Amino acid sequence: MECGCPGSKMMDRRDEDSGDAPAAAVNSQLRQWPIQLHLISPEAPYYTGADVLLTADCVAYAMGGYHSDYLKGKSIAIACPKLDAGQDIYAAKIRSWLEDAKINTLTVLIMEVPCCGGLLHLAKQALAASSRKVPLKAVVVGLDGEIRSEDWVTD
Amino acid sequence: MEQLLNSGIKQIIDEHAEVGPILEAYGIGCVPCSVGTCLLKDIVDIHGLSATQEQALMTKIAKAVYPDRDIVIPLRAKTSTENGTDLTYSPPMKKLVDEHTWIKRLLAQVPNLIRTLDLTAEPGRQLVRDVLDFIRNYADRFHHAKEEDILFKYFDEKLDILQVMLTDHESGRSHVRAIAGAVEKQDAATVSEHLAAYRELLTEHIKKENEILYPWMDKEMSDSQIGQMFAAFSDVDVTFGDGPGKHIAFVETLEALNS
Repeated sequence: MECGCPGSKMMDRRDEDSGDAPAAAVNSQLRQWPIQLHLISPEAPYYTGADVLLTADCVAYAMGGYHSDYLKGKSIAIACPKLDAGQDIYAAKIRSWLEDAKINTLTVLIMEVPCCGGLLHLAKQALAASSRKVPLKAVVVGLDGEIRSEDWVTD
Repeated sequence: MEQLLNSGIKQIIDEHAEVGPILEAYGIGCVPCSVGTCLLKDIVDIHGLSATQEQALMTKIAKAVYPDRDIVIPLRAKTSTENGTDLTYSPPMKKLVDEHTWIKRLLAQVPNLIRTLDLTAEPGRQLVRDVLDFIRNYADRFHHAKEEDILFKYFDEKLDILQVMLTDHESGRSHVRAIAGAVEKQDAATVSEHLAAYRELLTEHIKKENEILYPWMDKEMSDSQIGQMFAAFSDVDVTFGDGPGKHIAFVETLEALNS
């Protein structure tokens, strides 16, 4: 009987039809570097007043339209809530986005596997601890790349 | 069908009365609307029906308007967020909905206020003045100002649905003026009449906003606009300081008095 972490469970989808390829080359919407949450400075100018995406590492590989549907016009950082060390530093950087960079919104994109929820939890904790509040949105992406849910967090 | 979709709802209901009950069956209360110039296509769009509900509604309306024709309404593809899900709000819209809760709690006290109204004594007159103070400063200056000065500015204010909301706000202010004048004349009948009318107006107005207008606006606004609006609302909250808290405390006191 198969058991274990859903985030590590093997899934083979090679036989599934992946649909038509884009008619034209897809332009990257990335407008900054670096992007890894340990490497970024929350006070970098592209975060000031920005709509920020905090994206779990796997999301951009799963979603076909990540650049055009989510990244366009936004600033970004990526992280893995399961494997990355030093997540207290992550919490401090998110809080600095809120209080120092005065970001406009924070959108957390995570995979549907349970371990990914840790990234949203981290963002919620940082928001709760911050003296400045902004709208927080949670987007959950399925292993098939489809959006499972997209909701503003209001609790 | 295109011509029907681009017709004003009042005109359609006037010419085909059976359309009114069809709309009401889908929670679309256009029949008592005082304006009624919204186009059918906008009404169908704004009420957030699922694709199958929308198809069924349009089929029934088409049958009522064109009984001799056999019109097939196609299923219009919608995204999951457009597909008739439960009411959820963005954080700034949730602020407005939470403020509505306090206005509704005040409105719930109005029948008892009318029943026990005594304008011959100063405490009775002061109670009505305190209610008017809540309406003027919390419901109107604090809450409606967020709508009129911030939220509505993201949309074309000529939109029929916004015109209906603005008309409601003006009607509310007119009732408040009438109540204020009648209190000092100790005219209990006029005070009661306009308090009841205000309660009825605002109850329906809040229902329209909570269930139709705000969800539609949330769907139309970008994340960036939601963030800007949240910041602007927070600025208003700071500007008003502890004023809204005092008005909320008044509602709680009124509830305690009447419990």
